[in-house]
Amino acid sequence: MSARRLTSGRRNTELGLLLLAGVLTGGAYVLASLGRSASLPANLMPLLLVILGLLAAAHVAARRLAPEADPLLLPLAGLLNGVGYVFVARLQPDLAGPQSLWTAMGVGAFVGTLVFVRRSRDLERYRYTFALVGLGLLLMPLLPVLGQEINGSRLWVRLGVVNFQPGELAKIVLCVFFASYIVEKQPLLSAGTRRIAGMWVPEVKYLGPIMLAWVFSLVIMFWERDLGSSLLFFALFITMLWVATDRTVYLILGGAMFTAGSLLAFRVFDHVQTRVDTWLNPWPVADSGGYQIIQAAFAFAAGGFAGTNLSQGSPQRIPAVATDFTFAAIGEELGLLGTAAVLVAFLLLVGSGLRIAMRADSAFEKLLATGLTAILGIQSFIILGGVTRLIPLTGITLPFVSYGGSSLISNYILLALLLRISHDQSARAAAEAVAQDQTRMAAA
Amino acid sequence: MNRQIRVFGIVMIVLFSALFVQLNYLQVFGAEKLNNHPVNSRAVVRDFSRPRGAVQTSDGVLIAESVDTDNAFKRLRRYPEAELFAHLTGFFSFTYGADGVERTYNDALTGRESQELSIDRLGELLLEKDQTADVTLTVSKALQEIATRELGDRKGAVVALDPRNGAILAMVDYPTYDPNILAGHDQEKVREAWGALNDDPDRPLLPRSYRERYFPGSSFKVVTAATALDTGTASVTAPVYPNLTQLPLPQSTEPLRNFGGGSCGGPLPEALRVSCNTSFAQLGLDLGAEKLSAGASAFGFNKVPPIDLPFGVASVFPDASAFRNDKPALAKSAIGQQDVAATPLQMALVAAGIANGGVVMTPHVMGEVRNAQAEVIGKYQPKPWVQAVPADVARATKDMMVGVVAAGSGTRAQIPGVQVAGKTGTAQTGNDTSHTWFVAFAPADAPRVAVAVMLENQPSGNEFTGGALAAPIAKTVMEAVLATP
Repeated sequence: MSARRLTSGRRNTELGLLLLAGVLTGGAYVLASLGRSASLPANLMPLLLVILGLLAAAHVAARRLAPEADPLLLPLAGLLNGVGYVFVARLQPDLAGPQSLWTAMGVGAFVGTLVFVRRSRDLERYRYTFALVGLGLLLMPLLPVLGQEINGSRLWVRLGVVNFQPGELAKIVLCVFFASYIVEKQPLLSAGTRRIAGMWVPEVKYLGPIMLAWVFSLVIMFWERDLGSSLLFFALFITMLWVATDRTVYLILGGAMFTAGSLLAFRVFDHVQTRVDTWLNPWPVADSGGYQIIQAAFAFAAGGFAGTNLSQGSPQRIPAVATDFTFAAIGEELGLLGTAAVLVAFLLLVGSGLRIAMRADSAFEKLLATGLTAILGIQSFIILGGVTRLIPLTGITLPFVSYGGSSLISNYILLALLLRISHDQSARAAAEAVAQDQTRMAAA
Repeated sequence: MNRQIRVFGIVMIVLFSALFVQLNYLQVFGAEKLNNHPVNSRAVVRDFSRPRGAVQTSDGVLIAESVDTDNAFKRLRRYPEAELFAHLTGFFSFTYGADGVERTYNDALTGRESQELSIDRLGELLLEKDQTADVTLTVSKALQEIATRELGDRKGAVVALDPRNGAILAMVDYPTYDPNILAGHDQEKVREAWGALNDDPDRPLLPRSYRERYFPGSSFKVVTAATALDTGTASVTAPVYPNLTQLPLPQSTEPLRNFGGGSCGGPLPEALRVSCNTSFAQLGLDLGAEKLSAGASAFGFNKVPPIDLPFGVASVFPDASAFRNDKPALAKSAIGQQDVAATPLQMALVAAGIANGGVVMTPHVMGEVRNAQAEVIGKYQPKPWVQAVPADVARATKDMMVGVVAAGSGTRAQIPGVQVAGKTGTAQTGNDTSHTWFVAFAPADAPRVAVAVMLENQPSGNEFTGGALAAPIAKTVMEAVLATP
């Protein structure tokens, strides 16, 4: 009985929050199409309905397939997706159609993941398959013919007419592998240490995994020239390793190794040096290398506290605003209120993800949920920090918000996995509660 | 594991808090600084489709105006005289912001400055009455054309101003560009043109007259001479400098030679008349670094002239400490070489200061501002900028400069029936070319015009001196000013 009540309660909360997200998205869309200098053509209105319909479909799927999962995740993702869609459509109307198609595929992947992954523990069984698939995806852009170099980075794979960024998917697949691998080797990784000078230091032979992860992050950095993904990939591994073992030495070691790799990249690549110089002081190159980041700063400043309002700003002055710099457009037109709302949405996502991780029963589920959440949190921090010039800029996407298929599909899969873990835990808890009730009744 | 997960959560909160702090800086606390940054053209974009007043010359020729268009921009900025006034009007571009008068008088042109909000103006605001204002410059098209013609296709600058009030009468820079291209609505074309202009090795976008510094060469001797008189280091009669072909310099084995290897000397007026390097180098050593540096600063060196045009640069004369261990540098700086660099505007202001009894007036291009009803709502009020030297020193220096034109290196600036004061300059650049200069004012006793002419990188040789190349241009320009009532 209590299980059923819990179910409908959680999903009804989700429905209510989704409606709120829908109203906010729809309102923003209408605002953008009104105004004196409306930039949204009227024929894009049906596409908005498609987006809202898709979120409804995701909700129905959650009701059936993961009824007891956390109710916050989907509405938050929906809100970010919706706001992102409004900005993509407003900034580059010709991308509105493709973006709603990507959203459809993302929701499809979400439902598909819930259908195929009936129990999160099942994933643990295929760990080496995942390892192979993940590495394959990661290295795919390096293949001749298939691989495409765009904007100086080799991250793309050409499949027929669409370009795909396999790295986006690889990080999730590898996260699953890391989780099961680290959990399996956890006793070795944490017990195989000696205490030296007040710190647990692992024996050399147990440094293999971290060395391997480092080498792969270097491969991404040097051959695919993708600093952002390299940092994300390595930070993810180190975080998971530390969470599982509680050995500070891994953090220090990881930090040192990444610093060494970065310094090497700084020495070897002109474009890395340029990035760092531009980050430290973009003003001397305001017309060339610093143009984008300076125009973004001007956009944030123009937005001020409350923003210029939708369609009233001129964020088109920022190159690549629809893909890498959407956040600056939000800053200009929705102001600090809007950017703070986006930060809060991401923090709530991270918070929900970590809560799921803490409540999960098995070590594998805990670690997997932590890793998936870390992907979301670290990735959004890397790009938000880059756009606001808090850290050097690296071109990775803002989850759910930026334009792009690979990113949307991967993030919806990530979301579905978190929902699955959350559901499994709640369902088990509920089952236990029912069992206890029955035992008590039987006893009485 | 839960403890670590919690710690990770806290780390994420810290990272996102840092983002929030940075956003507060960008959007609230630092926003004003970013909004007003010179590179930021967003204000221009906002103003781009608004009504905008016109700019005209003192002789009533329209040089910048807005015309209505059918596209989203509503208005197109046009410059009917194209290249002729490019470095004065500047441009008003959607992509690249504004320069020149378009920048400094943006508020007046858009009507944001002239109209204080008051009750009786409220009606005008509601009726959307035209709030824009027109700016009339002190520059005349007639003189601008003459100076342009005289300069021809030689790289350089001509600055003419009224020494009594600082009003710029002509300001010509070559090469120049057509601002119409940058004001266009096709941003692709604008970008292309901007790229081409920036890549041009002749730098047509650069207003050489007030944004580029050159060795002033011997034209700087006016400053050295006036400073010597002011400090009492020399008078017009003493000392008498020995006739030399070269002056041995302390701390150096390389002596300083006269131009063309000639021999010269005599008292100060004689040394200035023939532009004697050995005498002036000795005078520089006699003066010492402290006095010479202070003297140059008194004429406005090391300060950006407060002209009403954007991004001007200061002319430089190093601080005395720079010469402590380098006497040869001091001697060479006294004759306008080595460490001295001046804009043509600054050298015109040196002449104007001598002409105006030692007081350098603030240079300006704006004459008056009129509202849409053609009523004058603002007139430029002349104000002094620096006191270079006392009046008696200015008078003595003027007499010496008269000698230069009457029977010295600047005879080609003579105007029949008018006494002209001037000084030549031929500054070696070190790559076998010279910047040739002439600074002058006339009439010597009641000056109405001061001029600086600078020709960049002219070939070396006696036929390419400031007296031969620059003086005739200055003469024609001054003659034209004096011919008008």
